[in-house]
This record gives sequence, structure tokens and C-alpha cells, in this order.
Amino acid sequence: MTEIKRKKLDSATVISIVIVLALYVAVFVAEQFIPATSMLFTVIKKGATYALVAVSMNLLNGFTGIFSLGQAGFMLIGAYVYGIFTIPVISRMDVYQYYNGGLVQFTLPVFVAMLLSGLAAAFLALLIGLPVLRLKSDYLAIATLGFAEIIRALFQWDKLGPITNGSNMLRLFPNFNDFNIRNADGQVVVYLSTLVPLLIAGVCIFVIILLINSTYGRALRAIKDDEIAAEAMGIRLASHKRLAFCISSFFAGVGGAMLAMYQTTVQAKSFTTAMTYEILLIVVIGGIGSVTGSCLSSFLFVACSEWWLRFLDQKQVIGDFEVPLLRNGFRLVVFSIIIMIVVLFFRQGIMGRKELPDLIRQLQGKKVKGGASK
Amino acid sequence: MWNTVFPYLLSGISVGGQYALIAIGYTMVYGILRLINFAHGDVFMVAGIIMVYMAASGVPLWLCIPLVLVLTALIGFVIERVAYKPLRSAPRMSAMISAIGVSYTLQNLVLYVTGGLNQIYPTIPWISDSVTIFGATTKMVTVITPILTIVLVVALVALINHTKIGMAMRAVSRDFETSQLMGIKINRVISTTFVIGTFLAGVASVLYFTNYTTVIQTSGAMPGLKAFVAAVFGGIGSIPGAVVGAFIIGIAENIIKGLDIILFKAGIIGGPMGLATFSDAFTFALLIIILAVKPTGLFGEKITDKV
Amino acid sequence: MSENVLHIDHLTMRFGGVVAVNDLSMDINRGEIVALIGPNGAGKTTAFNMVTGVYTPTSGKITLMGQDITGRRPDEITKLGIARTFQNIRLFSSMTVFENVLTARHLRRTSNFLSATFRLNAAEEKRMRQETEALLKEVGLYELRDEMATSLPYGKQRLLEIARALSTQPKVLLLDEPAAGMNPQETEELGAFIKLIKDKFDLTVFLIEHHMNLVMDISDRIYVIDFGKQIAQGTPSEVQNDPAVIAAYLGVDEEEEVSPA
Repeated sequence: MTEIKRKKLDSATVISIVIVLALYVAVFVAEQFIPATSMLFTVIKKGATYALVAVSMNLLNGFTGIFSLGQAGFMLIGAYVYGIFTIPVISRMDVYQYYNGGLVQFTLPVFVAMLLSGLAAAFLALLIGLPVLRLKSDYLAIATLGFAEIIRALFQWDKLGPITNGSNMLRLFPNFNDFNIRNADGQVVVYLSTLVPLLIAGVCIFVIILLINSTYGRALRAIKDDEIAAEAMGIRLASHKRLAFCISSFFAGVGGAMLAMYQTTVQAKSFTTAMTYEILLIVVIGGIGSVTGSCLSSFLFVACSEWWLRFLDQKQVIGDFEVPLLRNGFRLVVFSIIIMIVVLFFRQGIMGRKELPDLIRQLQGKKVKGGASK
Repeated sequence: MWNTVFPYLLSGISVGGQYALIAIGYTMVYGILRLINFAHGDVFMVAGIIMVYMAASGVPLWLCIPLVLVLTALIGFVIERVAYKPLRSAPRMSAMISAIGVSYTLQNLVLYVTGGLNQIYPTIPWISDSVTIFGATTKMVTVITPILTIVLVVALVALINHTKIGMAMRAVSRDFETSQLMGIKINRVISTTFVIGTFLAGVASVLYFTNYTTVIQTSGAMPGLKAFVAAVFGGIGSIPGAVVGAFIIGIAENIIKGLDIILFKAGIIGGPMGLATFSDAFTFALLIIILAVKPTGLFGEKITDKV
Repeated sequence: MSENVLHIDHLTMRFGGVVAVNDLSMDINRGEIVALIGPNGAGKTTAFNMVTGVYTPTSGKITLMGQDITGRRPDEITKLGIARTFQNIRLFSSMTVFENVLTARHLRRTSNFLSATFRLNAAEEKRMRQETEALLKEVGLYELRDEMATSLPYGKQRLLEIARALSTQPKVLLLDEPAAGMNPQETEELGAFIKLIKDKFDLTVFLIEHHMNLVMDISDRIYVIDFGKQIAQGTPSEVQNDPAVIAAYLGVDEEEEVSPA
């Protein structure tokens, strides 16, 4: 029986949890002392949002073997549901200026709205799943992509304007800064605008990890490994695929709500296929089938694009020497080349299929399961 | 009524022809490699950008066009060799991800080169001229496109049916492994397929951008996706299917663009419905319907999945 | 009187113009080991695929303990008590030995995805793990439990396939060429193993096999098919001496085949 205990919580898992908690404490402390305008916080906020969406995509592509490209569509639903239900009633006349203040004339609490974002996305996934999940690999990819485009058009439709504000922006809803605790004078007493999004993403990702390690998670991995064998072992393919699709979409929806908060505005036209591609590439860089990889890769991706590689977009002069090629857009070129190198030569990505506890076990000199194959 | 519908129909046929030329590249590559070449639409866009820069650098237009076509075909060849060939024995998903990576790379490269600004496409004499047919005024290119498309397709089908390389292509698309065992030089066949596909995309870009007049790094994404949908709609792997699918999608899309006006003039609706918003979405709705009802498309053969 | 478990009634499977299985009827009784043999391409695996729901038969009926299971989904059939192994090994490649067997317990769950995610099914999960460990001990794979399934030697992989099938708690176990690729020593051990698990898990075993020594050694009854049609059935000794069987295996000319009577 000691065997079973070992499997549940070994020292590597405990160390991993401690590391993650320490990071949270560090972020909380940093937030109180470093100016809120620091790029660090921008990166953490956006990184947390992307990490959640990337992990939700990984749940499908990496753990269930469903190659879906509809992520942007589900994020759009989440972002809109959040925006629509949280814009303060007094601001609605401003936002819905062409639609006479819009139809919705009440406001939901932030967390209720976020939950609703997820549920709306999951519900849509349930509907879309019926025709789409029967399709094979690349047909499924292109069909989900198509659905995302249809949703994007639908939300821009003028006739839905009283709800969606048509092709105009949603804005003035609560954003991450509203998590800061202020005193009566409106001065910030405790900064939480970075910690809270990081917590939301953390809790969501933790739930996904719990799912992956449950009996349902094993069933999903079985489907990815071999559909025929999985079915022969009594796993009902249709219902399990639908489950994975809905759960993934739920978290993509929540991620969409977070993106809305991060951006402070929402507009349907920005939720393009390119956004889905970007998230897919994050998942690939992190390692298809590794939650840790998706998280690391999200923060790296955001940090590089928003911060560390910014210098590539500006003229740099070292002494008398002006570094050639550097100007607006060069960062993205470097980025693309890195991505292509990963895709072609390091197909395992950063983590392969390993997770943080596996790494620690490796450091401890224990044998690691799984890892690289082919 | 006819006068209202006709201009939309006309531009629909024209765009349809341009989609058809792009769709052929998708359908041929898919037929042989079972790969959705997500970068194909971006190659089409790059062809447009090359044209812009070449014309701006003073190369005479009559020389630009053939040069652009050759360069585009070369790009197709290089992309296949660099990004797809190394992954030939990898899972299908890897090649698809690589294609998405190439698409991302091409867009970013063009963003870097152009600074993300709209580039004005050079005005090509004669095909940019205005012409009036059946009371509708349009550019010459609108009239030329469907004709040129048909001519190119007929030539391509002849090539596939009556030449040695065409026979090899048919063999490879029927059974990849066996044709390899029969001594067909797979790599040459695949390269040829890419060269033909991108060459036609190059032709499409000249026609398309003459009509739309500006190019930006994202210009290829939508036409690319639509052309792919056309290929699926017609039955992936089938060239006539792709052409028919492309015309249907081109026409449907343009009719929807004018649907508000058409329905209003017909007295069906009383005011604008904003239906033009759905001109892109309709294409995808069509895709999902066809996949749900007849996954092999209009002209597709039943493909048995190799287990 | 032995109790009928699996009843196959005039089963036919056509693929386009090809008749893979033609009017096959079989009866398998509780506690028996029944073998289905025949030359390559005779339609044995097709018959298996119909019983396990991979194919829906063109005509005919399959009954499991009195219940019609014709054309049901594979997962439903497994739930009803038929488990199988595969001729070309199909283990879950991203999983360890332990996880492979544990995953096959999923179908006996009482939890839903929420209770499983939030660990409200801890007792059930613990029981599933204990049962899996016990099963691994019984089949002798316990020492290898943390190895990746695909890193096992071939013979052990076949064994793991059987263990995984057993984990679904079947009443009938279908083995598709379990001895393929095994040496004589391993084959002999496998025969003893099949008998052992049959008794221990109160199973009925239905197998396809080419190793005649194994088939003759362990089978209670044997069905022989060729070109999708049954050509003989009976005890091992009856089948061994059946002229039609000898003809099918040795490829005797048509005329000679009919002459003795």
C-alpha cells in the first residue's frame, strides 16, 4: 500500500507545488514594491491569460488527439460574454451609443460573468461538437477554424448590435486594475492587479491538471494513443471527445474573459485565425502534451514579444556601428525563425511530454516515466 | 432585377476564377501529401508583394509578370524542401503545424519588409482598363479571369493525363508507398506539384490584386482559406471539383455582399439587414454543411484511411 | 448441460464484392476454450471484429448470454462483457504498464468527470489502483509496472494486452493470435497461462491462432474456416483428422478434396 501513497504525492510533486506557491508569493511581493507600470507585470498578466488558453488547447491537441483550430472563436465568446454582462449600467449609453444603450441593462459580478463566459463557450462547443467531432484530423481542424470565423462574423452583425455592439468595441468593463484594493481616497493600498489574474489562471490550470490525472484524463490519453484500442477497452469515443472539447472550450472562454480584462476593450475582428495559430505555436514550443511546457512557453512567448526582443524593433547603435536589419517588425521575423527551428528540429518542444515533477525527479536521479519518444 | 444582380454575379465569377487557381494548389498538394498547406495563401500574397517591389524598382511590367511567376514557383519549391520534406515520415500533425509556421513566417517577413503598410499594386495596362458588358462597368481583368482560368485548367488536366510526370502524380496520389516502390521519384513529383500549385497561385495573385489594388501581409489569409474550402467543397484531390467549388464560393460570396440591395430592390426586406457581414462566414457554413453531409465533397472519391 | 455464452448465428460480412465471412455459425459455452482457425485471409479477424462491434455484419446475429449485441458499438460490447486483444499489438504508447491496465478499468467507473476531477471518487480510484496492482501480480507484470508499455519485450507486450483486456472484467475473452511472434518456450507458457486465467477469472476464451501446437493443446473445441466459410468443427483430434481441414491447409486440388467420404 505504500506503493499507492508514493504515486499520489511524492517529494517531487511536493517540491513542484512549493515552487509554484513561492512564485505566487514573489509576484505578490514584487507587485507591492515595483512600479505598476513595469513591463514585468504586463508580461505576467498577458502570460497568465495565454497560459490558460494554451493549456486548454493542449488538453485537446496534446492529451486527446483532437486537432482543433477553433480556440479564437471560443475566446471571442468568453470575451464578449464577460464584456456584455459587466459593463456598468451607467456606462452603457456611452458604449452602446449606436444602439440606444443596448438591450442588457444589468451587471453581473466579475467572477460570475467569467464563469458564464466559460459556460457559454462550453455550450457552443457542445453544439459545434455534434457535426465536427465525427470528422478526421485535418477536416476537423478546418471545420473548427470555419466555426471560429462564423462566430466572428456573427458577433459583428449589425442586427445583433443591441447585444454585441456590432462591429464597435465593448469597453469600460472592469479590468485587472480593478482588483487592486483602494482606500476611500482612491489610492491603491494593496496591489493585486497581477496576482489575481495569475491566480485565476493558476486555479483553472490546476483543475485541468486534476482532470488529466483522473480516470477521465487517462481515458482521453488512451483515445489519443489508439482510438480503436480505447474503444475496445470500453471507452466511448464520442462522449469522451465531446467532454474534452467542451472542457477545453470552457477554459478558452474563461481565457477570453481574461484577455478582455487585459486589453480593456473587446472587438470581434481581432479574434482571427492568426490568434489561434499563435496559441498553437505556443503549445508546440512548450511541448505537445505538457502542461508545464505550455505555461513556460506562454510566458516566454509573451516576454519575448512584449519585452525582451523589443530592442530588435528599434535602431541600435553600438559605438559608431549601427546594427543592420533592426527596425519595426524584425522581432517577429526572429520569432518566426525560432518557431520554424523548433517545429523542424526540436519537435519535442521545451518539455516534450514531461511535467515539472518529472524534471525534479530527474534532478533527484530517479527514473522518469514517459518523456521523449521519437 | 437583373441589372442589380449582374454586377455581383460578374465579380463573383471573376473572384471564383482567382480562387480556383489558388484552390488547385491546395487540392494537388493534399491529393499527394495529405497535407493542408496552410502557407499556400501566404505564398499567393508574397507573389503580390514581389510584384509591387519589382515594379517599383523599375523593371518593366511586361518582364515583371513572368519573373513574378517564376519566383513564386521557386518559393513554393523551396518551402516544400525546407519545411515539409524533413517531416515526411513524421505524424501528419507535425507537417500541418509546420505549414502554419511557414504561414506565420511569411506574414511576418512581409510585415518587416513593408512595415505593415498597404502596398499599392502596380496598374497593369489593358487588364486594368474599364470595360462595359451587358450594362455593367468593370475592369478587363474581371472578364479575363474566368477565361484564363479555364484555359489553364484544361492545360493542367492535359498535363496530368497525358505526360509522364502527370502519370507519376496520379500514381503517387493513389498510393504513396507503392509508387515509391515502383521506382517513381517521389521527391521530384512532390516538387513538381508544389511548383505547379504556386505558379497558378502566382497567376491568381496578378489577377486578384489588379482587382483589389492593395497588398498587405494578411491579404493571403482569407483568399487562401476560401480556396481551401473550395477544394474541400469540390472534393479534395479533384481538380475539376476545386474549380467548380471555387466558382460556387466566389459567386455566393459576392451575391451575399449585395444581398441587402438585391433583396431590398426585390421588395423582400424593407431596410438594410447587414447581411454582407456574412459573405466570409457563408463560405465556412458551406464547408461545414458539406463535411457533415458528404465529407468527400462534390466530386471526391471515397478515400479509405490507411490504418 | 453447459450454459451457452456466445452464440453466432449465420453471420455474413461483405466488403463490396468480397465476402469475408460467409454464413458463419458458432456456439461457445461457459468455461470453454474455443479456437477459430483457418489459413491466412480466411476471415478470422473479420469474425472477431464483428463480435467486438468494430464491423456491423451484413447479415446474421450475435448473442451474448441471450442478449442480442449485433451492431452495437465496441465500447458497449466491452461493457457487456467481451474483451479482446489485437493481432498487431495496440497498447497505449504514452502510458506505463500500470496505466495501461488501470485505464481499462475506466468503463467500470461510477464517477462522472466532475467528481473524478475534484477527487470525490477517491475511494473508487484507490480501489481501481489496488485491483490493478493485484491483477498485475497475478499475471506476473507487477515488477514491470512503471515501465513504458512500448518498451517491454514483445512477449511481455502480448501478456500486457491480455492483462489490459482482463482489467475490463470480461466474461468472454477474445484473443487474436496471442502467440504471434513468440518462440516455442514462450508459446508453451502462454498456453498454461491462458488456462490459468480462464479458471481464475471464470472466463470463456475464444481465440484465433496459427500455432497449431498451442491450439490443439488448450482448445476444447475448434472451428475451422476457409474463404469465410466453416469447413469443419469438433474436438482437436476430430479436426486434426478432418480431410477438408487438411485440404485447406495443405492446398490439395479441388478434385482430391471431394473424393474421400
